[in-house]
Amino acid sequence: HYFIQSNLRMSYTVRLCQLTSHSSALSSIRALSAPSEYKVPGTEKFFKKQAVYGRPLSPHLTIYKPQLTSMLSISHRGSGIGYSILLYGGTLLTLLPGGFSHYVALAEQIAPGNGVITAFKAIVVLPLVYHTCNGFRHLAWDTGKGFKIAEVYKSGWFTVGVSVVLSLLMALLL
Amino acid sequence: HYFIQSNLRMFAGLSKVGPQCLKLNVISKPMIQAKFLSGSIVTHWKAERYVSILTAGAIFGAVVAPSLAVDHSLAILIPLHTHWGLEQVFTDYIHVKPVQKVVSISLWLITAATVLALLYFNQHDIGITQAVKDVWNIKRVQTEDLG
Repeated sequence: HYFIQSNLRMSYTVRLCQLTSHSSALSSIRALSAPSEYKVPGTEKFFKKQAVYGRPLSPHLTIYKPQLTSMLSISHRGSGIGYSILLYGGTLLTLLPGGFSHYVALAEQIAPGNGVITAFKAIVVLPLVYHTCNGFRHLAWDTGKGFKIAEVYKSGWFTVGVSVVLSLLMALLL
Repeated sequence: HYFIQSNLRMFAGLSKVGPQCLKLNVISKPMIQAKFLSGSIVTHWKAERYVSILTAGAIFGAVVAPSLAVDHSLAILIPLHTHWGLEQVFTDYIHVKPVQKVVSISLWLITAATVLALLYFNQHDIGITQAVKDVWNIKRVQTEDLG
């Protein structure tokens, strides 16, 4: 993340440079552009060659030590994806005939006991609350704040704690 | 994640040019935003962050002051935030060109359909806020004792 965000800042400074030295920047962009790593001559041949030789890929995700930074990052992405699915599913539900309240009444018929419902609510709302809290953490990074490793870890644990507490409170009190 | 790749490439490009001029090397066109050269990538990035803030605000608004206006803004903001998020996800993981095209078009269709469906739902049914409240308050229906 350090790397990403430090490069974001660099991209801003470079952008500023380009804007101030407007003249030949545009004309030289095409000349200077280079293809992505997937199009660099030799890259595709390299991968094809390795496949032909039957060479295995080195382990990566299976051996990399899970860290708070990476785990929170993928959780942010995962919770976002999970809630996208919920959004699309819920929207589909609104399109079914009979009106939304009809299906709510159906659900009430088959609802389990109150304890189970409360636990279920806490579990379902946790990804959303976490995504929101971590979202604010991301926005703080976008303003340039909080990149020191100690700060990243502190804000990370804070986010996790707040998410868990808030989800429990919402499930119990709301 | 897009920024990792684009900035790594930018490092590579800058080293070719040398320290005396920091001309921005536009290395590769990002998959979706073909208008990189005009700087709309920066606009897009900013728009993503503003929409995130607005979405959080709209959800907060739905909690404290629910109304049709808040429901309609949610109907637009949530699918938009979702769309841009999913777009970043599949930009990161899908590199095969034809699959990119298919997924991109599908995502646009799904987002459009979601926005329209939610707007319709707000107008002709109970609305997003009320729907969420109803689902949240689902309790077991007490059956009558037939004793």
